[in-house]
Amino acid sequence: MSLLRGLLGMELIGISVRPFLDFQERLTLLGTFFILIDKEVIYICPFNGPIKGRVYITNYRLYLRSLETDSALILDVPLGVISRIEKMGGATSRGENSYGLDITCKDMRNLRFALKQEGHSRRDMFEILTRHAFPLAHSLPIFAFLNEEKFNVDGWMVYNPVEEYRRQGLPNHHWRITFINKCYELCDTYPSLLVVPYRASDEDLRRVATFRSRNRIPVLSWIHPENKTVIVRCSQPLVGMSGKRNKDDEKYLDVIRETNRQISKLTIYDARPNVNAVANKATGGGYESDDAYHNAELFFLDIHNIHVMRESLKKVKDIVYPNVEESHWLSSLESTHWLEHIKLVLTGAIQVADKVSSGKSSVLVHCSDGWDRTAQLTSLAMLMLDSFYRSIEGFEILVQKEWISFGHKFASRIGHGDKNHADADRSPIFLQFIDCVWQMSKQFPTAFEFNEQFLITILDHLYSCRFGTFLYNCESARERQKVTERTVSLWSLINSNKDKFKNPFYTKEINRVLYPVASMRHLELWVNYYIRWNPRIKQQQPNPVEQRYLELLALRDEYIKRLEELQLANSAKLSDPSTSPSSPSQMMPHVQTHF
Amino acid sequence: MMFFFLFSVSGNASNPEFKKKKNSECLLRLRHEGLLNSCPAGVASCPASSCPFRSPRSPRLKLLESALLLGPRPTAGGMEFSELIRTGRAQAELLRGPGAPPLRGTLCVTGHHLLLSPGPQATSDLWLLLLRSVDSIEKRVAGDSGTITLRCKDLRVLQLDIEGVEATLDIARSIEALSSLESVITSFPFFYRPKGLRLGDAWHFHPPEHYYKRVARETNAWRLSEVNEDFSVCPSYPRAVIVPRAVDDDALARSARFRQGGRFPMLSYHHAPSGTVLLRSSQPLTGPQKRRCAEDEELLRAVLAGARPGARGFIVDTRSAQAAKQARMTGGGTEAKAAYPGWKRLHRPMERGRPLQESFVRLVEACGDLEQSMDRWLSRLEGCRWLAHVKEALSTACLAAQGMEREGACILVHGAEGTDSTLLVTSLAQLILDPLSRTMTGFQELVEREWIQAGHPFQLRCAHSAFSHARPKHEAPTFLLFLDCVWQLGRQFPLSLEFGEGLLLALFEHAYASPFGTFLCNSEKERCLCEVRTRTHSLWSGLNQPKEQRKLRNPLYVLNPLAIWPSVEPQSLRLWQGLFLRWTRPPEPSEAAWEKVWQIVTDKEKTEGSQPTVSASEPQP
Repeated sequence: MSLLRGLLGMELIGISVRPFLDFQERLTLLGTFFILIDKEVIYICPFNGPIKGRVYITNYRLYLRSLETDSALILDVPLGVISRIEKMGGATSRGENSYGLDITCKDMRNLRFALKQEGHSRRDMFEILTRHAFPLAHSLPIFAFLNEEKFNVDGWMVYNPVEEYRRQGLPNHHWRITFINKCYELCDTYPSLLVVPYRASDEDLRRVATFRSRNRIPVLSWIHPENKTVIVRCSQPLVGMSGKRNKDDEKYLDVIRETNRQISKLTIYDARPNVNAVANKATGGGYESDDAYHNAELFFLDIHNIHVMRESLKKVKDIVYPNVEESHWLSSLESTHWLEHIKLVLTGAIQVADKVSSGKSSVLVHCSDGWDRTAQLTSLAMLMLDSFYRSIEGFEILVQKEWISFGHKFASRIGHGDKNHADADRSPIFLQFIDCVWQMSKQFPTAFEFNEQFLITILDHLYSCRFGTFLYNCESARERQKVTERTVSLWSLINSNKDKFKNPFYTKEINRVLYPVASMRHLELWVNYYIRWNPRIKQQQPNPVEQRYLELLALRDEYIKRLEELQLANSAKLSDPSTSPSSPSQMMPHVQTHF
Repeated sequence: MMFFFLFSVSGNASNPEFKKKKNSECLLRLRHEGLLNSCPAGVASCPASSCPFRSPRSPRLKLLESALLLGPRPTAGGMEFSELIRTGRAQAELLRGPGAPPLRGTLCVTGHHLLLSPGPQATSDLWLLLLRSVDSIEKRVAGDSGTITLRCKDLRVLQLDIEGVEATLDIARSIEALSSLESVITSFPFFYRPKGLRLGDAWHFHPPEHYYKRVARETNAWRLSEVNEDFSVCPSYPRAVIVPRAVDDDALARSARFRQGGRFPMLSYHHAPSGTVLLRSSQPLTGPQKRRCAEDEELLRAVLAGARPGARGFIVDTRSAQAAKQARMTGGGTEAKAAYPGWKRLHRPMERGRPLQESFVRLVEACGDLEQSMDRWLSRLEGCRWLAHVKEALSTACLAAQGMEREGACILVHGAEGTDSTLLVTSLAQLILDPLSRTMTGFQELVEREWIQAGHPFQLRCAHSAFSHARPKHEAPTFLLFLDCVWQLGRQFPLSLEFGEGLLLALFEHAYASPFGTFLCNSEKERCLCEVRTRTHSLWSGLNQPKEQRKLRNPLYVLNPLAIWPSVEPQSLRLWQGLFLRWTRPPEPSEAAWEKVWQIVTDKEKTEGSQPTVSASEPQP
């Protein structure tokens, strides 16, 4: 037994094996925690059947340890991923394991616990889970504000907008940095620092803001280092049923067009399907008409809205959890339309990137409010165009810039700490973006510094509420809540242990534009994410590094076996007086000191 | 990029008469002019053909012409190749699909090749296509020019725009006639003489004797029998086979008479860790009368006795129980329970023959259909059923492997003839269990032993690929299905196979059309009759040249001593894009990535000296 422990603690050939920490140690991993519940339950595992275990709930996680097999840790679920908690069965329900709790998670799984029917045994568990999974409904702080973890790097320092724009060569003759939104008075969902055309005065900007939904005026996201074409993002123009026009907006777009002298037209990509854009006129929105914007060309990219995406992902969950729909796997997958949506998003981003890179025309991207589809398109196009964003820190900056600072409504889309699981504002837009990044990393295995684990970690902490990174809807709200002072950044965790997230095959290439193939033939379901709870999938090792770890673990097991045999043989020899005294007695101490 | 169809000039014809004096003069010239040594890949000669083009544009072509014209004219079924060539030459433009620039130049049909020699200003060299690799040809004429679409057996689609209507029609007819010649001994491998390779090399890499040496080291229960020395006992088996020591040659011959095509149970693989064996055979000829054969029963009894006391056996029949029963009506059947104590029969129906070929055709059609809306791609892919066949094959192989490794049982695999799905199962089971078969040489040995020498009728199965309009006769992509399953294994266990996708693609191409003799004919017997071993080059010597290695090897390989159990869940099996979408996707990223992985690995090798592959797969500090 001591031999085994020695081996388990040993680091194998310089690889830190996934830490099997002591349970208490694991609990205290986070600064502030207290155990709220410690009770016996039956976990109804959809793969292995009912497992008797002890559940521990802290203010951050739920743990389940088996009471049967080596008290193995079976579940480790941050309360933040919980989207819904339901009671199943009643005190009089019949049938085995019919009384308990059913928990729906945001990360593609459900958890089911059965409890004893006597004495309202589930009541305390239900109440504590509800309070701490949905703190907002109980006037409690989100866990990130309680977390006292310390890291040796500060992730909040990763993104500095001035530095990032300077890296892009800004400001220059045509573009200036403006502090007009310093106190978020121009647009409360935009960052305080914006890049706008040199020739547009602050007064112009204010007038343009009146004509753009939620004042989200066109501002620069990225500039091409050589041909100086730009990607500009904004929200839809407030055209309305009457077809209103705004001279300032028209002039402003023309100023943007003129910052790049190479081509006569500005290209506008409206991310929505044509019909949706037209329908938006009824609620005061719309799109740029040919008559009003002579020097612009408008294209629709046919990407559907947040509700369509939410329903699509729901269907994906239906076919992969708990059991994979086996008999008609491909046609079931097709009927979820998930990959089709991925294809449309990627296709749109490719068009943006291609226009800027080869078309030599500046591009303006918007959808309705410019914080969902727009963020997907600009960030993916930037990822294709600029190799900097394909490094670990570059990607963090990209997410921080195009998503977090430009007001992707993380709080509404994810519902951090909120109990309204059926809220129509929830939607997996950011997950879809990460899926697109994964598709790209599959097609260009050497182009990204990060690995699959990096993307999965980001998604896990999108829900976990352990870090402040994805909290709130926009920069102004984050500033009010002093998020950077009171919480830890996800990038602190990642950057303090970068090796774990590195792609061994990464080769840095400057100025290479990546054009992924966005055809259904080349897109795949991200099995390692969507089906990761299925133990049958876990056995697969598509990731070479993980596979290598597993192979090493198997080898280690073999070594343990061999060493035990050796020890047995040695002790047998030792007890046998007839053996020559030289070799075994010399070997034994050696073997023992080794462990 | 064209892989083996674009091989470099480095040889000359050596059909018997070619050794005449006046020819050797010309060949000498070829060598002296440096044509044979200095040409970059992409230039080739087709020495065996008569090529009538008169005004070549480059001195190199002129040389080629003289060599070709002086050469004797081999005949095809009493007819000279030249009689099949209507027009030798025309101006044409070649479109090779996305990614490759069009080529313009002089087109020329020779006995075995289609050549395109680019104009003088062009930088690229001769383009060359083995006519044997053309699967279907389509011609269209309009105005005073025509278009020929060639669909190749490696799934490439080429388009030739040709000046002149007559020329187009003539060239199309010539290609049609020459690409469908059935005679083996006039095929290109009999004339292909690449430089740096010697005839007869590598043909003795992987004889059964070699595998027997390994078995003999592990167990004493088996012997090498030469009962089939003259192929009279079983025409589709090799001369030497591994059989239980306790069974003599007479008994083998009698057992052979009880099995279809004489394919009596023989050893396919000995699994040393569990001491069990994998056997293969054809169906027993029980017939409606439920005949029995004492020697056949004795043979299987001896197998169990030789494994270990009390060992059990499983007979994996690759047909459904129903189909196996029905086979009795036509003289076949299956082993009766009572006649073979200790053996239990399992039925695992696998698709074969026509339905498999149709599945292949449908898949290739779907992959090549670029116009159709892609919303329905996944259900169309499912409708092709190809991935379902991959699943069947892998799960049956897993069953056989599991029986050996986990149950400690002996396994006999057969279907009807025992030359298709049987081989699929036995070869995949070995890959799962045997780390040696996952090495470069081990895998080549496996293909040689379990497919080529085991009598998979390559000539019949691979006569046409997925594009042919000819009425299918015996075609079936069994070998391709095997390669696909191996690819799935490699995808699921990216470090455990020493070879990469490149080798699998090469085997696919060469199985359907090749300058090498390895995949010619249907059995060892036919290969002996055609003197394939002495008159053609072995693919293995071609592949094992140092310059090919980077394309074929897996840079991440580390020896994995464990069995690799693949997942056969539908979401674990993928379309083999590298093969089925090879010519429609831009090949750049994956090839560039492959090259970079090589660079990383070899760089590490240089800096660290030892254990390069292990460290390359770990995250770098």
